[in-house]
Amino acid sequence: MTTHVPTVNGTAMTGATSLVKSLEAAGVDVMFGIPGGAILPAYDPIFDSTIRHILVRHEQGAGHAATGYAQVTGRAGVCIATSGPGATNLVTPLMDAAMDSVPLVAITGQVPSAAIGTDAFQEADIRGITMPFTKHNYLVTDPNDIPRAIAEAFHIATSGRPGPVLVDIAKDALQKQTTFTWPGKIELAGYQPKFTPDNSAILDAAKLIAQSKKPVFYIGGGVIKANASKELAQLVEILGAPVVTTLMARGAFPDSHPLHLGMPGMHGTVAAVTALQKADLLITLGARFDDRVTGKLSTFAVNAKVIHADIDPAEINKNKFADVPVVGDLRETITALIPALKAELSKNRADLTPWLASMNNLRATYPLGYALPDDGSLSPQLVIERIGKISGTDTIFTSGVGQHQMWASQFISYEKPRTWLNSGGAGTMGYGVPAAMGAKVGAPDTTVWAIDGDGCFQMTNQELVTCALNNIPIKVAIINNESLGMVRQWQTLFYDGRYSNTNLDSKRVPNFPLLAEAMGCVGLACDNPGDLDATIEKAMSINDQPVVIDFRVHRDAMVWPMVAAGTSNDEIMIARATAPDWDSQEL
Amino acid sequence: MSIHTLEVLVENEPGVLARVAGLFARRAYNIDTLVVGPTENSEISKMVIQVNLEGHSLEQVMAQLDKLITVISIKELIDGAVKSSKHDTQPDYQN
Ligand SMILES: Cc1ncc(C[n+]2csc(CCOP(=O)(O)OP(=O)(O)O)c2C)c(N)n1
Ligand SMILES: [Mg+2]
Repeated sequence: MTTHVPTVNGTAMTGATSLVKSLEAAGVDVMFGIPGGAILPAYDPIFDSTIRHILVRHEQGAGHAATGYAQVTGRAGVCIATSGPGATNLVTPLMDAAMDSVPLVAITGQVPSAAIGTDAFQEADIRGITMPFTKHNYLVTDPNDIPRAIAEAFHIATSGRPGPVLVDIAKDALQKQTTFTWPGKIELAGYQPKFTPDNSAILDAAKLIAQSKKPVFYIGGGVIKANASKELAQLVEILGAPVVTTLMARGAFPDSHPLHLGMPGMHGTVAAVTALQKADLLITLGARFDDRVTGKLSTFAVNAKVIHADIDPAEINKNKFADVPVVGDLRETITALIPALKAELSKNRADLTPWLASMNNLRATYPLGYALPDDGSLSPQLVIERIGKISGTDTIFTSGVGQHQMWASQFISYEKPRTWLNSGGAGTMGYGVPAAMGAKVGAPDTTVWAIDGDGCFQMTNQELVTCALNNIPIKVAIINNESLGMVRQWQTLFYDGRYSNTNLDSKRVPNFPLLAEAMGCVGLACDNPGDLDATIEKAMSINDQPVVIDFRVHRDAMVWPMVAAGTSNDEIMIARATAPDWDSQEL
Repeated sequence: MSIHTLEVLVENEPGVLARVAGLFARRAYNIDTLVVGPTENSEISKMVIQVNLEGHSLEQVMAQLDKLITVISIKELIDGAVKSSKHDTQPDYQN
C-alpha cells in the first residue's frame, strides 16, 4: 500500500471519518461490504470518499472478492461488515485468506463499548472468533486509536508472510469526536519479519544444490506472493533442474517450459509426484509440505535432503525437517542464491542428464489426459481445456473447489503469476464467483473466467447481481455434472459407489441460464461437443455484461492421477486400480 | 515427558492471555502451568509457561508463539539453550 501523510492530519472529526481518512491514507481504492447498525456511522463518510465501495449481496462475497482483488494486484483487499451476523459471515473468507496467505483487511462494526459483554443486539465476539485464523486482530473502543489500528493492520497484512487482519470498531468509537493523527513509521516490538536471508544459509544451499544429482524445485505460492517469478526462472535456467508447482503456485513458472513437470500432490502428474519422491534434494521455495502434497509424510521424499526457503520461520521443520533452512523474503533469497550457485557450479557441477532423462521419460509416458465419454456427451475436461485455449494465457482464472478445480489446474496452461486464483488451503466451495468479481475489479482490462462447479456456484452466485449492477463483466463456466462431483468420486472409490447425498439434480433445477438472466447476466447453455467452441466464443464476445454458461457435462468423469488420502505418493494411481508401470522406468 | 519452561514477554493489553492460551489449545500443545505478572514496564507483562511437549518440538512451539504480534520475546528458562531435534515431523494420518 502506498501510504502518505494525509492533509487532514491534526483535524477534528468523528471516529467514522477518521476511519475513512485512514483507509484513504493507506492507499485503499476499493472495498467490498454491506452496511448495518454498528458500522453505519462509517457508511456516512464512505458516501463522500474517493474509495469505491462495492455493495455486495453477502459478506462472504465481500471477503472472497477482497481476496480475489488482493491475489491479482498484490495489494491488500478490503472488506467491511456490520457486527454480529455481518461479521460472522466474514469468518470463512478470513480463514480462507489465512490458509492461502492473502493480505486482507476486514473492518467490522461492533456494538457500543458499554454494551460489549451484555449479549446486546447483534453482538458477537468477532475478535475472539477470528483469533485462530487472523494474522492479528483488533478491538478498538477509543476513537483516537483508529488511525494507528488501521495503519498497523495494513502493515501486518501486507508484510512478511501476508495474511488477514481484522479491525473491529465499537459503534461509539465511530460516533465520538477525535483528532485525526496518522502515525509515522509503524514499529511493532513483537513483529519484525526477516527479509534478508543469512548469507551462510545461502552458501550452504548453493553447495548442496551443486552437489545434487537429482534436484527438484518444489515451488509454492510464496513465490507468487514475493513477486519472484522472474528470479525463479533465472535460477532454474542456471541449474537446469526440473520444477514442480503446487496448486497455489500454478503460474509461478511457465507451464510451457520444458523443465516444468506440472503439479505435485493428490492430483498431481506422475512426473511431478515421482520427482519429489525420487529426488536427492528438494529446493523448496515458498511451499509448506501440506498433506495434499506430501501424501503419507513418513514415506515422502525419504532420500531427499531439504532446502526450505520461506519467510515464515514457523514453517521450517513444521512437517518436514529442513537440512538447510533459509528464512527471508523469497525474491531476496533467490536473488542471493543466483550468484552463489553460479560460483559453486563453476567449481563443481553434477551431471543431471540421467535424472532429467528419467523425468522426461515419465512425463512423456504419463501425460495428463482424459477419455472422452462413450456416449458422445460433453467432457468436463474438454470444456475446461477449450476455455483455456480460446481465452489464452493473459486470462485470469478462478475456480471453486472440487473436480472442476483440479481439472482447471491440470488442463489450463498457466504462463504468468497471478492468473490462477483458487482456494487451496481451505478448499472453500463458493470461492469462485466472488473471487472472480474481486479479480475483475483489480484487473478490469483482463478477461476473468470463473471455472465453477454446479455445487459451488449455488453457494455464492448471488454476487452476479453485484457484478451486473456494478459493471464487473466476469465470465462463469458452470461445469454441471449434476453432483458434488469430488465427493461422489470418493464415494465411487472408497464407499462402494453408495452415493449418499451427492446428487444435486442440477440439470433439472435450477435452470442456470434463467437464473443468470434473472441476475442481469447473459445465460447460455451447452451440452453438445459440437457447440462447445462456438459457445465459448459467444461468451468471449460479450464484454458489457457478466456471462454464465451452463456446461452440461458427463457426470462420471474422474480426476486422475490420484494419491488416495493417507497413502504414500509411491501409490499414485493413473486410473482406477491402475498404477504406473514402474518396472519399465529407470529411476 | 518433556517439560520446558518459557519466559514470554507480551504486550500488556486485553485479550493477550486468550491469544496465548488459544494458540496452545488449537495446536494441541499442553500447558502444565502458566503464571502472568507485571514487569517494570507497565506496557509489558511477563508470562512464565511450562509446556509439556509430548511429541511437539520446542522450536516449533516457540516459532508459533513468536508469530503472535503481541508476543515480544520468548526465552527458555532452566535448560538454557534451545536445541532443535532432527526428527520433528508430524505423525502420519489420513485426511
Ligand atoms: C464449504 C464447503 N462445503 C463442503 C465441502 C466439501 N466438498 C469438497 S468438493 C465438494 C463438491 C463440489 O461440488 P461441485 O461444486 O459441483 O464441484 P465438482 O466436484 O462436481 O466439480 C464438496 C461438497 C467444501 N470443500 N467446502
Ligand atoms: Mg458438480
